[in-house]
Amino acid sequence: MSEAAPATLKGTVPDPSLPRVLDVVNLGVDVDDRTLIDGITFYIPKGEFVCLCGPNGAGKSTFLKSTLGLMKRTRGEIKVNGKPLEEARGAIGYVPQRKTFAQDFPATAVELIVANLRGKWPLRVHADEREKARLALVKTGGEKLIDKPLAGLSGGETQRVFLARAMVTQPELLVLDEPTAGVDVKGRAEFLELLAGISKSDHIAAILVTHNVAAVTRTAERIVYLEAGRLVAWGLPDELLGHDRLTALAFAPPQDHKAAPDED
Amino acid sequence: MNFLTEPLALEFMQRALIAGAVVAGLCALIGVFVVQRGLSFLGDGLAHASFGGLGLGLFLGVSVDQAGWVSLPFTLAVAMGIVFVLRRGKLRGDVATGVFFSVSFALGVMFLGLRSVNAKPVNVETVLFGSILAISPQNLWMVAVVALITFIALAATWSRLAYATFDPDLAALSGVPVAALDYLLLGLTALIIVVSVKTVGVVLVSSFIVIPAATARMLGKTLSGVALAALVIGVSTSVVGLIASYHLNVASGATIILTLGIVFGAVLLLKRR
Repeated sequence: MSEAAPATLKGTVPDPSLPRVLDVVNLGVDVDDRTLIDGITFYIPKGEFVCLCGPNGAGKSTFLKSTLGLMKRTRGEIKVNGKPLEEARGAIGYVPQRKTFAQDFPATAVELIVANLRGKWPLRVHADEREKARLALVKTGGEKLIDKPLAGLSGGETQRVFLARAMVTQPELLVLDEPTAGVDVKGRAEFLELLAGISKSDHIAAILVTHNVAAVTRTAERIVYLEAGRLVAWGLPDELLGHDRLTALAFAPPQDHKAAPDED
Repeated sequence: MNFLTEPLALEFMQRALIAGAVVAGLCALIGVFVVQRGLSFLGDGLAHASFGGLGLGLFLGVSVDQAGWVSLPFTLAVAMGIVFVLRRGKLRGDVATGVFFSVSFALGVMFLGLRSVNAKPVNVETVLFGSILAISPQNLWMVAVVALITFIALAATWSRLAYATFDPDLAALSGVPVAALDYLLLGLTALIIVVSVKTVGVVLVSSFIVIPAATARMLGKTLSGVALAALVIGVSTSVVGLIASYHLNVASGATIILTLGIVFGAVLLLKRR
């Protein structure tokens, strides 16, 4: 296992001896001679909930796409459960932004969840697949949504269905791309509580990309902060939330017993 | 009963009925994916591209009846070009289609103008508006071959194509070959359009693709339901429109499209209530 490159703000990083679900080593992504991601190194131990933050253009989306294998990396290495990403995609559950999916697609919740189980869209859903989808929906509090058309769901309901879709394959790492964008305040708070609860109860690691400081305070066990494609800070929420240097987190409510990170 | 038996006793009407129904069914099925992906303009674009191919065929001295064989690779090449540009992500779908569409159509006009003065005159109106009543047995064979290819390709890829249509990223994460399916979908659309142009013409063919799928979307709750509804709407309106055109003594292609339009309007009104 590799050691992390120093961040500008040195917070408390996870114990390097813990088993890791995600290990990112010197990740670099260039597109058309432009460097979008440069030398990012960090790891997530099993079961830890990490928030990936940073201002617009920080490289969060590029990082996410390369972690999912949707974008080719130019340099570096990504390992999931100690295996190269390409061999371990099944261990990742992905919850996309609400605005990115075809909301007028004629589909029901159970079809969407079963599509992830099968790797293709189901013409018919078998009884055993339906039961697995139901159990996943029970976990996300969306059991009553199983036969509902996706087009008629509220923002919060849609995200419960997509979380169930990600959970149905029993992943070890959840990757969530601004899952509460476009969701009303009540739905957002409920969804974040749900996420944090599932991560704890099922001991699933998660990486949540978010702009929302409230989402960070509710869920993060650790924060990774990117800026201009580089890792700027990695540490505990108490150390980074509200820090003047980190513009996307600067306006967080004051934390009790905040420990100041070392600055290079 | 005479209403049905009289037109169907005529051999050219039988061929028109079969060709119309098969072409309408093919367009409706492929249209479900095209419309769902927000590529409705694509049908129009590829139809106009096929005009470029027809023009090239006529310029090379091929008869109007056989020019489809030149139009086929030409339209396929344009379709592949559109997917290539789309996948590079530099242009939006409507912009890419618009550019290819107008350039191909202009090429068709230019090729027609470059034909020898001694060449057999061509009725451009037939190319633009179709001639379903003039479907030859050879045309019918071409329709049958394309129908077989489409049926096999769609049956083999339906579930993956549906997943990629829902969300390409999620599908790719599940191991669906999204890029290959993009090329396949546009390739099939090009193929279907080339054989459909003979029936309803360059100008009207996109309505065969768009209207049944758009109508079916208002009726079906699942993709399979939408596809089935689109198929039924496409085939039945083609038959009704053709027979109506015989009795009303009006243009067949246009009557079929108008029938589709009436069905779309009726469903829209009923659904709004």
